Amino acid sequence: MDVLFGRIPSRHDVDASLPAVLRLLDAHGLDRALLGSLRGGLFDARTGNDELLATSDPRLVPVGTVDLRDALTAEPELDRLAGAGVRLLRLFCAEQGAEPDFPGLRHVAALAAERGMTVLTSGDVRRFWRPFAGRSASVCFLDVHAYHLADFVLLARDEPGFVASARLLNAPDSIERVVAEVGARHLAYGSGLPRSDVTPSALRFRLADLTPGEWDQVGHGTAEGWLT
Amino acid sequence: MIIDVHAHAGPWFFAMDVGDPGLGETLMRRYGIDAAIVSASEAVTYDAVSGNRWFADVLDRWPADGPRLYGYVTVNPTDLRAAEADLERYLPGGRFLGVKIHTTYPAQGLGSTAMRDALRLVAAAGVPALVHTWGADVWALVDVLAAEPSLRLVAGHMGGPAWREGVAAAARCDRLYLEPCCSITDRGKVRFALDRVPTGQLLFGTDATLIDPAVSLGVVADAGLDARERELMLWRNAAELFGIAVPRP
Repeated sequence: MDVLFGRIPSRHDVDASLPAVLRLLDAHGLDRALLGSLRGGLFDARTGNDELLATSDPRLVPVGTVDLRDALTAEPELDRLAGAGVRLLRLFCAEQGAEPDFPGLRHVAALAAERGMTVLTSGDVRRFWRPFAGRSASVCFLDVHAYHLADFVLLARDEPGFVASARLLNAPDSIERVVAEVGARHLAYGSGLPRSDVTPSALRFRLADLTPGEWDQVGHGTAEGWLT
Repeated sequence: MIIDVHAHAGPWFFAMDVGDPGLGETLMRRYGIDAAIVSASEAVTYDAVSGNRWFADVLDRWPADGPRLYGYVTVNPTDLRAAEADLERYLPGGRFLGVKIHTTYPAQGLGSTAMRDALRLVAAAGVPALVHTWGADVWALVDVLAAEPSLRLVAGHMGGPAWREGVAAAARCDRLYLEPCCSITDRGKVRFALDRVPTGQLLFGTDATLIDPAVSLGVVADAGLDARERELMLWRNAAELFGIAVPRP
């Protein structure tokens, strides 16, 4: 549920084009992807969303975006995305320098919650939980690190819609500990393609000491729940 | 064969239960890691002397039929008198093969006077040092290596987020080795290093038991190493640098 395509300004040695991303999904045995646009997050939300909506591969589920640096445009863009059937919203908080107390981020968090959209967001969960709390929001924090596990568990106890990506839960017992503490519905697998190597997170997840039901929930069940 | 040159033992202050040295053995067996060079978390983060003592005891109790375990003598650059005593105490036994130096917990940067003095002590001891590197100041190690012609240093984490600087620095000095383990797995950074630094300077490390070895092994898998690169990076370079005996082919 954490896949992007486009260009990475800091990594001209990395092919992040859609064909390259699709090849990598195949190579790593990833059946489906929640796909967002790097153009939308790093340059221009509207044209990024346009190129996202133009993709037609059945393996891909579009994740729209709005720019937190210009939240005035967010409301009509969210309505446009909703009209196109988009249920998921990716926020590039860290990349756009939007701090948790910025009014623009608070506004977008409220708009997304009002529309029942699930938010996928970058940024340190210990800080970026704040604009989403108390709204019955559905939010996946993409950068939850093993070092931040305790803080995430505390949040998830109060927020049934808070989910962590398993990508950086990479201590020997992190994935298992989150599942034991708050349940598999608070975890979802994300690869971080194309900015991250996939095998580290995939191998850790494949070897996780989970029941088959828990593994299915993390592997696809949580993400499917956002779409139903 | 796999030699892990960046491993830890003991508990951490995060929400993880990884303090039992037996977990290290379990992970080594699970991932096929034949030998590991380990520093004690207590020595790295809090008290070098008590942590080194604890790990010496772990080595004494390590099962003879287990994967091979070796130690780093952790040196705190702010207490070189204790460091000198620990080097004299532990290096002659043959189970401690090098020195580990962190920068965060002793609050001494790579370019600090204390760090230079510590690395001079390491040079005199005649063993390699694994140094925590986490930024563009990895370049300071090149200056130290120029001043200490016998010194061999391993840039732990390859500079971390500044891994391109770690690669550039290693390309300038053949006694600066790169160990790229990192919980953040920026795509393609190991291949980036292999394409710019002689393969003889690349080492494999995991940061286990703080981080699961799946992460570093996954990074290596995604780098697409050929057979020669795999042999050198995964074990042969480490065996030669640290003097670890390997089975004859």
